[in-house]
Amino acid sequence: MIEFLDMGKHTAFVYIAYIFSVVVLLIGYFFPHYGLKKEIRKKNDKVNKNE
Amino acid sequence: MNISKIANLKFFYVNTKNISFFLSIFTLVLFLVGVYWGLYIAPIDYLQGNSYRIMYVHVPAAWLSLQTYIFMAVTGFIALVWKVKIMEIASIQSAPVGAFFTIIALVTGMIWGKPTWGTYWVWDARLTSELILLFLYIGVIVLYASFSDKRQAVKVTSLLAIIGLINIPIIHYSVEWWNTLHQGPTVTKFDKPSAHISMLTPLLYMFFVFNLYFCTVIIKRIRLGIFLREKNTKWMKEYLDD
Repeated sequence: MIEFLDMGKHTAFVYIAYIFSVVVLLIGYFFPHYGLKKEIRKKNDKVNKNE
Repeated sequence: MNISKIANLKFFYVNTKNISFFLSIFTLVLFLVGVYWGLYIAPIDYLQGNSYRIMYVHVPAAWLSLQTYIFMAVTGFIALVWKVKIMEIASIQSAPVGAFFTIIALVTGMIWGKPTWGTYWVWDARLTSELILLFLYIGVIVLYASFSDKRQAVKVTSLLAIIGLINIPIIHYSVEWWNTLHQGPTVTKFDKPSAHISMLTPLLYMFFVFNLYFCTVIIKRIRLGIFLREKNTKWMKEYLDD
């Protein structure tokens, strides 16, 4: 398994670059995803309070 | 289905919920395939070794950083001239997406630069103009946040986006106009690409996947923008009640 994942002397560089990209892409995706959910919840709470 | 219907905020918000969900799943699956392809299937480079595999995330992110900026400027222009509400939202909501792509391009480029050039950063024309692109995105985001009247804010940010378009050909041609440490065009030489087909195919595949990611996220962001703008309207209240 470790042999399969091995990238020689550049192993750390390659995996750090990929992990960084994945993390940033996930943040970019979940920010509007949970942002919308949060706003809808806030709106519903406000409506329920007024009722 | 005509354009004016898609441009209708209610129509877009209501009809893109399921599209967004399926597009997210589809993009995730294709992205995982692309990562596996880039990391383990594409052949090793005879000169750079395995470090060149960083290109499979760096290059599509760099292309998308430019493409997203053009999207932001074009939608901003349409919003300015024809006052199309959905274009106002699309323009401002694309700025954070473009900023994320630019950050990926810059950071992965730095990580690739260390084993290849021996340094993380040099102030050459390509790297500097890409950094200016990030500042332009941040400028648009900060400018928009500083206005209380959001419709007025979009007019100003659209103008900034259009003016900043000048940076796009500078980034693209910087490696030809100046002597840069950054390599010249490899893929865009369509008559004779420098990359072998076995390395080029996963790169083009990842470019396609990054485009899908852009579509997925921009739909989500436009839905968020529509909600923030229309949350007190009658149709939104009715939709939430359902």
